[in-house]
Amino acid sequence: MALSKEEWCRELARLVGIPLMEGEVAEVAERFESLMRELERLTQLDLAHIQPVLVFPEEEA
Amino acid sequence: MAGHDISWLSAAETAVAIKTKQVSPVEVVHAYLERIERFDGLLHAYITVMREEALAAARQAEQTVLRGGDLGPLFGVPVAVKDQFWTRGILTTNGSRAYRDFVPDADATVITRLQQAGTILLGKLNLSELAMGGTQEPPWGIPRNPWDLERTPGESSSGSGVALAAHLCAASVGEDTGGSGRGPASYCSAVGLRPTFTRVSRYGMTPMCWYLDTAAPMTKTVQDCALILGAIAGYDPRDPFTSRRPVPDYTACFGRGLRGIRIGLIRELDEDAGMHPEVKQAIHNAVEVLRQQGAEVREVSIPLVALAGAIFVGVADTEGAGARDDILQTRAAELDRASRTRLQAAALVPAKVYNRALKARVLLRQQFLEALRQVDVLASATAPAPPPKHTALTAPFVDADDVRSRFFFRRAYTGCYALTALPAISIPCGFTADNLPIGLQLGAGPFAEDLLLGVAHAYEQATPWHTRRAPGIEE
Repeated sequence: MALSKEEWCRELARLVGIPLMEGEVAEVAERFESLMRELERLTQLDLAHIQPVLVFPEEEA
Repeated sequence: MAGHDISWLSAAETAVAIKTKQVSPVEVVHAYLERIERFDGLLHAYITVMREEALAAARQAEQTVLRGGDLGPLFGVPVAVKDQFWTRGILTTNGSRAYRDFVPDADATVITRLQQAGTILLGKLNLSELAMGGTQEPPWGIPRNPWDLERTPGESSSGSGVALAAHLCAASVGEDTGGSGRGPASYCSAVGLRPTFTRVSRYGMTPMCWYLDTAAPMTKTVQDCALILGAIAGYDPRDPFTSRRPVPDYTACFGRGLRGIRIGLIRELDEDAGMHPEVKQAIHNAVEVLRQQGAEVREVSIPLVALAGAIFVGVADTEGAGARDDILQTRAAELDRASRTRLQAAALVPAKVYNRALKARVLLRQQFLEALRQVDVLASATAPAPPPKHTALTAPFVDADDVRSRFFFRRAYTGCYALTALPAISIPCGFTADNLPIGLQLGAGPFAEDLLLGVAHAYEQATPWHTRRAPGIEE
């Protein structure tokens, strides 16, 4: 049986150890869905040969 | 000199007035304290006013003036900082009930360097909770934009923007993760600079996002901005990421004119359908002023900037959730509802998606550096629209499109420089028909703050915008 987005969100939160407040699960789920939908746009990019960095080296500039 | 005359001065003018004994540091501090007393009950710029400490420092400065000697260009100037910078023995709230009792036992490096430059700390300024933005019920009051009290002064260095627009301090240092310094500067008709990521120490600046946060000079004028940056920049062994490059004289490019400078208007931001028409016109007018001063102006394309809002939130919110993991696990109830649900949602983002955002960030940097091989300075609006009303900012999201337009879209304008670790400055460039401020954003290559400040100064000197005062704050 498929989970609702609230149930899915509640389960993810349990797995990462973040307790959600009972009256706010739907709001967190809505935000999470929006975030993931926006980040889905990044799948259109060709990033195969790019290595992520956290701080850019000075000599690169 | 009368109190209100003192508070209209820029930081540089204040220091000159003190040095030439037209006014004493004690008179200057009293002038600002009186204005804070009079206006801050309405504006909520300050969380903590350090009245006794500031007066004690001013009396000490007065003795130094009387003894004579070499006083620096910021000596005796009253400054205020975002309440994200640690101040030894002084409450540092980060705008959150979760930090309502936090009294650091050390000063942030920025605080130490401001003191070494001879400035006098007036107090700690209001901010959006945890420097994030979107706080629905700020614990220390809703900061109000002096240009229109119903409108936001911008986020998250909101108190810095308000204090500058209302002349409740001579200069400020805010913080900029993705536009938190430049945004309020734009909305409040002030100057706000995001330096190159490693230019200023972050020691003692409570983190929002480990690899994006920078201290942000926020001032009344470009000259003040150059002086504040010069005071706080430079290597600090307590922040291992700070650069060892020497700190130049950031006023050195002033007065050189713009002949030979190549300026690129970022096409994707300029042509965005969400751009407010009055903002777009103001930016075009500003670029024309730069052209008339001798700059060569052209359009440049940075295709990925259209996705910068999404990349920014993918990096910043997930790192922000990581930086707040302890609070999310045990004290989430102490957070404002908007901050709590935003961080909780970001904490659930899979590592694969976060890594994709990090990679996209590298690609964005490559495109910016490529554009900066064609031009010296990039130009755009700081924000695509004038400051919105408080009610529009804190209203619940209606649907996914609403989230996109209010949460992601506007972040592309300032977030792109945060992601690429490049310096950018916002300067006043006009007003709407409703007298709401508009900001011009200029960006440049790594460590090119001197060039950026030189161009900004040339524009400022050719236009009247920085001299206009917000209504209702005159004597």
